[in-house]
Amino acid sequence: METSDKKPSLAAAPEARFTVSPMTLATDRWMGRLIRFGGVGVVLAVFGMLAFLIFQVFPLFTGAKVEPVGSLSVPAGAVAFGEDEYGDLPYVVLADGKVIFQRAKDGSKVLEWAPALAARRVTAVRSYPRSGLVFLGLSDGAVQELRVVYRSTFDAAGKRTVEPVVTALEPLQVGKPGLPCVEVWNAKGAQARLILVRQEEAGRPLLTAVRLTERKGLGGKAKVTVSAPFVVAADAASVDKVLLPSTAESLIVIGKSGEVRTYADDGATFSFLQAFTPFKESGDPAVASAGMIFGNVSVVFVSRTGEQQVWSMYPQLQPDGKSLRRWGKIHDGEALAGAGEGVYAAEGNKCYLAVAGGKLQIRNMTTGSLRWEGDAPSGSIRQLAFAGNYDRFTALSADGKLHRWSIVDHHPESSWGAFFGKIWYEGATGPAYTWQSSAGSDEFEAKYSLVPLFYGTVKGPFYALLFALPIALTAAIYVSQFLRPEYRQVVKPVMEIMASLPSVVLGFLAGLWLAPLVDPRLISLFCAVGILAPAALFAGFLWSVLPQPVRRQVKPGMEFLWLLPFLALCAFFAWKSGPAVEAAFFTVKDSASGLPIADFREWWRQTTGATYDSRNSLVVGFVMGFAVIPIVFTIAEDALSNVPNSLVSGSLALGASRWQTVWSVVVPTAISGIVSGVMIGFGRAIGETMIVVMATGNTAVMESNPFSGMRTLSANIAVELPEAASGHTHYRALFLGACCLFLLTFVINTLAEVLRQRLRERYKVV
Amino acid sequence: MSQIMNPPSSSRIKVRPAAEREGRKDYISIRDFGFWYGEKKALDAISLDIPERQVVAFIGPSGCGKSTLLRNLNRMNDLVDGIRHEGDITINGRSIYDPGLEVISLRRRVGMVFQKSNPFPKSIFENVVYALRVVGVRDRAVLEEACETSLRKAALWDEVKDRLNDSALGLSGGQMQRLCIARAIANRPEILLMDEPCSALDPIATGKIEELIHELKEQFTIVIVTHSMQQAARVSDRTAFFYLGKQIEYDTTEKIFMNPSQAQTEAYISGRFG
Repeated sequence: METSDKKPSLAAAPEARFTVSPMTLATDRWMGRLIRFGGVGVVLAVFGMLAFLIFQVFPLFTGAKVEPVGSLSVPAGAVAFGEDEYGDLPYVVLADGKVIFQRAKDGSKVLEWAPALAARRVTAVRSYPRSGLVFLGLSDGAVQELRVVYRSTFDAAGKRTVEPVVTALEPLQVGKPGLPCVEVWNAKGAQARLILVRQEEAGRPLLTAVRLTERKGLGGKAKVTVSAPFVVAADAASVDKVLLPSTAESLIVIGKSGEVRTYADDGATFSFLQAFTPFKESGDPAVASAGMIFGNVSVVFVSRTGEQQVWSMYPQLQPDGKSLRRWGKIHDGEALAGAGEGVYAAEGNKCYLAVAGGKLQIRNMTTGSLRWEGDAPSGSIRQLAFAGNYDRFTALSADGKLHRWSIVDHHPESSWGAFFGKIWYEGATGPAYTWQSSAGSDEFEAKYSLVPLFYGTVKGPFYALLFALPIALTAAIYVSQFLRPEYRQVVKPVMEIMASLPSVVLGFLAGLWLAPLVDPRLISLFCAVGILAPAALFAGFLWSVLPQPVRRQVKPGMEFLWLLPFLALCAFFAWKSGPAVEAAFFTVKDSASGLPIADFREWWRQTTGATYDSRNSLVVGFVMGFAVIPIVFTIAEDALSNVPNSLVSGSLALGASRWQTVWSVVVPTAISGIVSGVMIGFGRAIGETMIVVMATGNTAVMESNPFSGMRTLSANIAVELPEAASGHTHYRALFLGACCLFLLTFVINTLAEVLRQRLRERYKVV
Repeated sequence: MSQIMNPPSSSRIKVRPAAEREGRKDYISIRDFGFWYGEKKALDAISLDIPERQVVAFIGPSGCGKSTLLRNLNRMNDLVDGIRHEGDITINGRSIYDPGLEVISLRRRVGMVFQKSNPFPKSIFENVVYALRVVGVRDRAVLEEACETSLRKAALWDEVKDRLNDSALGLSGGQMQRLCIARAIANRPEILLMDEPCSALDPIATGKIEELIHELKEQFTIVIVTHSMQQAARVSDRTAFFYLGKQIEYDTTEKIFMNPSQAQTEAYISGRFG
């Protein structure tokens, strides 16, 4: 020991043999850490993905955030208001027609404008805050139009000064001369502008309108032609409220009895269209308040008891068989806290603000969801208007206050119901699950029901598995149990190469080659597929009746050499006989020429009334089946091959045939592997994107019809994500679809695993 | 038949001298039998007769071909690739290689118990009645009766009668092997082949199986392959010793163990090689 520093003693040698080098220990420790890091990292990545999806989706299910941003004292007699684009410089109109501009910041008066009317008085005021138009109804039935313009000037320092300017137009005789206007409305249609006044003549209401047609000359001043005043809705017994859509295409008059009469613009005047009483069934049929929703096809009615109904124009089948657009109830809204005091529509979406029982509620008309609820200001509301981009609303109350609120509501159209429920959209003939995220018009309401996508997501894999499972599983049984090992060593890698075929190639083949090929020869294909199974059985039968010496010539496991040409021959003849079968069973009268034609597609359309698309579920099922077969085959084949040989021998030694052995020993023992193969194949089919994008036509329909297309959640994301604006409802709805897809595959995989574990427990081998 | 259906009432071993036993002396007849796995000759010129309702033991060192010969008796070797045979094996006068004879039918006649117990992942009941099910018996009463009879014959009935529907994989090693025996005799074969049935078992389980063999030979012709000389001496009436694919000696067990005529046999049973 003393000399150990010079040369290693003999005693140290065995010790060195048993010592563990620090390097070994360090490597062991670090590899352990690395592996742990990798494992935890994978789990974290999955949860991170889910968290990201939820984070993206969460804003869809939050309500509107509405905050009061102060109120402004205005003269108590104010009856109407308006404001500039930013809400900095609002104005109020007093009952006598005076217009007063005040700064929103400090309430200081900027401008006071008074009409010069000589002997006439102002008897009615209507302000259209978003267009800066104010209409004064005068005591002699005339109407004066005021135009409010904000003129911005910038000084040398770049500071903006806004200066309001009021221009008064010449009063226009609209109503019956001599009678004071009670109310006045204005609307700008596609061709003409309409000014409507209400007067009272001997206790009866009188509605009179004029049309102003503006024709612009070449670079010159616009020339306005004013039509002669014409009386509208003369048949209305009483007039409580009048709703004039901003397009001036129709007119809705609500009587005191609660009867709603609608009129349509017929070019000259307004002709009666339809009358209905929304609250006929309830105790008090009177309509307490009503408002036209943005888009001008739906009206929200609120009764005195707070009941809400939404009526809309949609195509309805008339007794004479024609389908005409008529008014009908599309929603029963949630009851409000008290009698309706006002319904004010937002601009740019289907939301409205209802005032009832001292509460303000912002609701979405289509989904009925409550976006926000808050307390109404103390004085009754005379007028309320949303800003054009739905970020603000302002209300004028009777106690001389101009209240202002800000809104943060990025997804007014979303709710659980919108994504998963049946929704009756405007213009539709009934509630339906619809996905339609974009269209040409601005007034279009995006429809985000995920249900048809779910349907497609299950339908595609269903047809794929219908095609793939029998083939994959029988192939797996055949290859693992009957085929000679030499061939098995070839078949298996080939199948695995098939699994690595890019799905975009399969989709391309399906959409551009297979679909057009199969389309005219569908019956031939059916014949060929239909003949294969019986032909295989028949071949087996022929084989079994062959004398033993002949059968002995073929080694066990080589029988397929005789089967294959037989099957190919059968399939060929079946394919060739397709047109004859089609002519025999599927001849229909051609709708165009009236001549009989043998066409299965036409037969299908006429017999079932369902659609027939060239890119249909069968084509997708067939091609997606190709993507699924190798996976199911490989896993099932592995499971079947792993069944211990001792069990097979045991069964054979007991006098069981090959098939009895396979069916009652091998398959039950391998069942957990087979099930997981099927489930993994199903999961693969559900997540499959490119094939369905390219081969389905991507129509979001819910039909079990095998000859129609579909749209799956994954295809939907692939197709629409590039065109969705980041942060928009559409964008988040796609993420919601991704979230659902994630959960769907998660649930399916979990179920598969649970099932597999149970089966494994039951059929485990010692 | 009634003899088969009624289990012996006593578990005591009754050994009658082999010579007194009735039945054909050449029930199984192996004549000049040679067998190849591909190019390798595993058996060479085997000729021996196995009398009915006796226990014949095949002994010999590993690789001597005793298991191969056993597995030829029910043509289990058919599953192996590249096999070839010469000579003939007859059972009750009929060649097992007769082209008119279905191999399935042969295996129903010649039952087999393997070295490693191989119960199916099914219930005990389903394991026992498997052979009857593949024959096509559907009658529940018949199946239940056969199950009880077979399990009683395999001396397992009392241990499992309350859990027939439990998985067979929950049994102990010895119980599993006895279950495999019960399974093999359920369809009442005529011959029972046993390929080292006790090699994976402890001495107590081995004792039980050996007792069982004594009882079963009342009804079955039993061919057993074993590595244990003591076992061969305990259970068999006749013993064949094989070495390198050749049949060295075949005689009554007493003769083989007490007074072997061949030096190789003596060397083997006295433990000098093997």
